[in-house]
Amino acid sequence: MGEPSKVIISLGGILDVTGEVIAMWILLAVITVICLAVKLKLREKPGRFQNMIETGVEYLDNFFEGLLGEKSRQYFTFLGSLFIFIIFANYSGLIPGVGMTDYVKAPTASLSVTAGLGVLTFIFLQGAGLKCGIKHYFTRFVKPIFIMLPLLVLDEIIKPASLALRLFGNVFGEEMVTHQLYEIFPIGVPVVMMVLSLLFCALQAMVYTMLVSIYLDEATETE
Amino acid sequence: MTNSAFIAIAAAIAIAVSTIAPAIAQGLTAKSAMESIARQPDAAKDIRSTLIIALALMEALTIYGLLIAFMLISKI
Repeated sequence: MGEPSKVIISLGGILDVTGEVIAMWILLAVITVICLAVKLKLREKPGRFQNMIETGVEYLDNFFEGLLGEKSRQYFTFLGSLFIFIIFANYSGLIPGVGMTDYVKAPTASLSVTAGLGVLTFIFLQGAGLKCGIKHYFTRFVKPIFIMLPLLVLDEIIKPASLALRLFGNVFGEEMVTHQLYEIFPIGVPVVMMVLSLLFCALQAMVYTMLVSIYLDEATETE
Repeated sequence: MTNSAFIAIAAAIAIAVSTIAPAIAQGLTAKSAMESIARQPDAAKDIRSTLIIALALMEALTIYGLLIAFMLISKI
């Protein structure tokens, strides 16, 4: 979908470094620096910065607890990281200059990245299902009636695929609309779409993790 | 008409139809969600999260249409 990304550093055709990969390296560095800055200065009486981060983490914790109940803490590391990565990746597209060059591009505006997230989610969901017992995992596929088996197996594959396509489509569509507005009138007009993007980017990250936790709730359901 | 003209019209129809139908569905969903929040403000939190999920699932249909339109455009 779309044009293939331009290769910046060639590594023999298999693990080529593209603009998205460079953007993800920068994001990785930024997130790591923020985490270290909080971790190394952890105090009993939080300062302004620590307070801000604590509020964010608390909000995420409450968000997942509302969806998953007491199971949320067990899976919080994965779901929280997913949320933080997606929201940072979405917002990176709003930084001026990102996406205009081949060297730095918003990662989630590429189908390869979101498909990777989809595969990760698929493995996570299957793993979480298997962890609740092998018998429980397999009875889920023949639960109401045996004929449903192919549909339910297909459903497991379609879920992450639709997650990946939804995230890609939303972010890519936004980037395209902003770009088209820029082509029409470069001064001032794209700001309108970028303000809307501020809302949509956060919403997409929320929707992705929300749907993953609902699928997770289905997969680990015990009676 | 040439082939690329047909493709352009097909792309336009794809995005137009796939926008209209989910828009109607989302409007109906939001309407009933708002009505139930007005009737029962205590349940607003539960209704809001369910509403967002429902809207996101409908939004996906529009996105599929958009992707098909982009695929068609790239074939011109």
